[in-house]
Amino acid sequence: MNKNRRRVVITGMGAITPLGHSVSTLYEAQINGRSGVDFIRHFDARRFPTTFAAEVKEFDLARFLPDGERYRHCGVNTRFALAAAQQALDDANAHRGIDRTRFGIYLGNGEGQNEFDHLIRAVAIAAGGSPEVDAGRFFQAALRDFNPKREYELEMYTTSGRLAERFELLGPNFSCLTACAASSQAIGEAVELIRHGDADLMLAGGAHSMIHPFGVTGFNRLTALSTRNDAPQKASRPFDLHRDGFVLGEGSGMVVLEELEHARRRGAPIYAEITGYGSTADAYRTTDSPPDGHGAIAAIRWALQDSGLTPEEIGYVNAHGTSTEVNDRVETLAIRETFGPHAYRVAVSSNKSMMGHLIAAAGVVELIISVMTIRRGVIPPTINYETPDPNCDLDYVPNTAREKRVHHVLSNSFGFGGQNVSLIVSRFVE
Amino acid sequence: MPHSRRAVITGCGMLTPIGSDAATIWDALTQGRSGIARISAFDPSALPCHIAGEIRDFNARKHLDNKVEYEKTIGKSLKLMARTIQLGLIAAKYAMRDAGLQRGSYEPTRFGIVFGSSMIAIEVNDIVAASQAATAAGDGSVDLLRWGDTGIETIEPTWMLKFLPNMAACHISVMYDLQGPSNSITQDDIASLNALGEAYRHIARGQADAFLVGGADSKISLLSMARHQLFLPLSRRNDDPAGACRPFDRDRDGMVLGEGATVLAVEEYESARKRGARILGEIVGFASTFDAKRDGSGLARAIRLALAEAGVAPDELNHVNAHGLGVIDLDRREAQAIRQALGPAADHVPVFAAKSLVGNMGPAAGVTELAFDLLAWQQGHLPPTVNCRWPDPECPVVVHTEGLRPIRKPYVLKIAFTDLGQSVAVVLRRNDS
Repeated sequence: MNKNRRRVVITGMGAITPLGHSVSTLYEAQINGRSGVDFIRHFDARRFPTTFAAEVKEFDLARFLPDGERYRHCGVNTRFALAAAQQALDDANAHRGIDRTRFGIYLGNGEGQNEFDHLIRAVAIAAGGSPEVDAGRFFQAALRDFNPKREYELEMYTTSGRLAERFELLGPNFSCLTACAASSQAIGEAVELIRHGDADLMLAGGAHSMIHPFGVTGFNRLTALSTRNDAPQKASRPFDLHRDGFVLGEGSGMVVLEELEHARRRGAPIYAEITGYGSTADAYRTTDSPPDGHGAIAAIRWALQDSGLTPEEIGYVNAHGTSTEVNDRVETLAIRETFGPHAYRVAVSSNKSMMGHLIAAAGVVELIISVMTIRRGVIPPTINYETPDPNCDLDYVPNTAREKRVHHVLSNSFGFGGQNVSLIVSRFVE
Repeated sequence: MPHSRRAVITGCGMLTPIGSDAATIWDALTQGRSGIARISAFDPSALPCHIAGEIRDFNARKHLDNKVEYEKTIGKSLKLMARTIQLGLIAAKYAMRDAGLQRGSYEPTRFGIVFGSSMIAIEVNDIVAASQAATAAGDGSVDLLRWGDTGIETIEPTWMLKFLPNMAACHISVMYDLQGPSNSITQDDIASLNALGEAYRHIARGQADAFLVGGADSKISLLSMARHQLFLPLSRRNDDPAGACRPFDRDRDGMVLGEGATVLAVEEYESARKRGARILGEIVGFASTFDAKRDGSGLARAIRLALAEAGVAPDELNHVNAHGLGVIDLDRREAQAIRQALGPAADHVPVFAAKSLVGNMGPAAGVTELAFDLLAWQQGHLPPTVNCRWPDPECPVVVHTEGLRPIRKPYVLKIAFTDLGQSVAVVLRRNDS
């Protein structure tokens, strides 16, 4: 670790999640072991292989931005992001008195959603009874029925553009999508931009929703989702022997990252410090993790090295813990491999047991929960943990939150396609 | 901030509407041979814009060598990849070959990838049966119960993987065992230059010794084309495809879409030198900004920051490689930004814009146009910008429009931006300087 490098602290946080529309309601639900999973209401999913998800309930952008109506054409990911960003910037008191050219944005962001009915109708009309679509008929239907403003706002670059425009973030502007690792990667890279001096502040985080007919169809075809339709709230059961897939969540999390001296000078609240970041690829397969966990192991080691910490100093591992057979087994292996004997002493839990998998937004929301754990001294449990899996033999903080003073948290995020990101967040000390 | 670790470009693979090898591409650039024509992939008559820069004969399988084990293996996965992803994969193959890099010749954990990407539309033919099932009532309604009952099962199990925007990076990392950092920047027109900047920062801080950096795009599929025709300012010059994209020309009327991919091998200088790599150029400056006023002032700031990082004065630029969309207001915004950032030097530093020949290749555009600079350096000449026949007085820059102009100075500035204001600038130094 380079002792002379610029230190990066968190000075603001915001969250729109299946467990509430603020950081405090999210964290309260987490430490109370409350599930945010229920039958899908966004669309009629009764005959889908999976009928449930962790949805964001009763979201109204106008409660966060008085002119929220302006963003009606935006994808729901962008609207979640605007609300979470507004909270984070309020929290950091970062609306005024800051050189905006030194304030950038880095998102791990999903896509907007195609209008399902219009698209399906256009395809059906254009195919007629044949197995292939006729181009001319498809174009006619699409040009007639698709809404140009809405189609524009589905484009992935528009989210970081809309946020930069709204909050006057004139510094570096990045957005990535590395599946389930995206918002953790965004935070890690935003930290690096501040360390290097490209910016003094970065709004970093992510937003995503795949709880729509195409998203559920796609994940169902991959057999990645739990199909425990008779007990949705029991479906997300990371590390449990009877886990059968992940549960889709949705939402957004945002943090304000700030160079330490800058935060001090303006008297900003300092919630925690990002001390470690590691990013690697499995280079193995598109959806599978390699059985030896080499990519995850390398990411964890790298984050530890970046922070200058030993595994023994990590008090809590905020796991990726998706509730899929492979992830939970390989992640456990990676923690054992990197932590040695301390693997059996460190608390490991998965926030996804309660809020599902927020895909691109998962990493940042889990990082926010990690920060709250450091500040409040209560580790959220892994709920639905009933039957131990011999391959998953660590302390998963089963079912009940645990009071413990934690100084350093390792937060893992591993994406489809083999991207692995580990972040370490630490209690701030001078 | 001075870097002890320098980042150099050692290889380049390109698939473009004007060719897929350096000689063909250079010939097209110097002859002004356009890659833009009436769309052949499907009948575009029902669309407002009928033209695009297409790669007409692209077949990924033909580019893979079955005698090479990992190429044979990846060949079996081609059906999992949308055209965009296939283009990226094959361009990566040529970048590795051009750089003289083979599996086993590098440390995989020190080799990463940062790729430029954007939303990849689904192929509508993949959901025909499911759509027919959902609309079987025949009254124009779309019934999710029917979709669930009999539609979903008609869709390929791996369907979703074809369109995930990080899959180009994923398949390339599998093909070449790239275990270092992997990222996919999803910002369309600025994506691949932001990707290049990120790799440059990674190498400078020592997180990796090499990267593949690139971008790939094809919007020439039914859904993507329909969507983009609804909101992009596309040229209506259907009767004159080669003359349709007119950067900085007073008669410009919109952009033209292009497809393709470019991948660069970017390495830390000392390790590249040690292995005897041919060095095509060095990345010496990068900046990313936001142009909130959408008047070019934010783009001008990116240019100034990148030049400052490089320690380069505007006079030292051989030319500016512009975004040059051929869109009325956006070209004006860009030209004003160049003027603002370069000052009096804008009177004699020429501007080059390549989209008039290849169209807007989206996430592939930035690196492709930058690769044209690498060719120009090797050849010793800057090619002309075609279709800028009557320079627009509201675009206060000097566009190089006629003949080959000898390369005189060691630096080039490459820029890109979005309509919303995301702006990026990269400064490259020529290899022999």
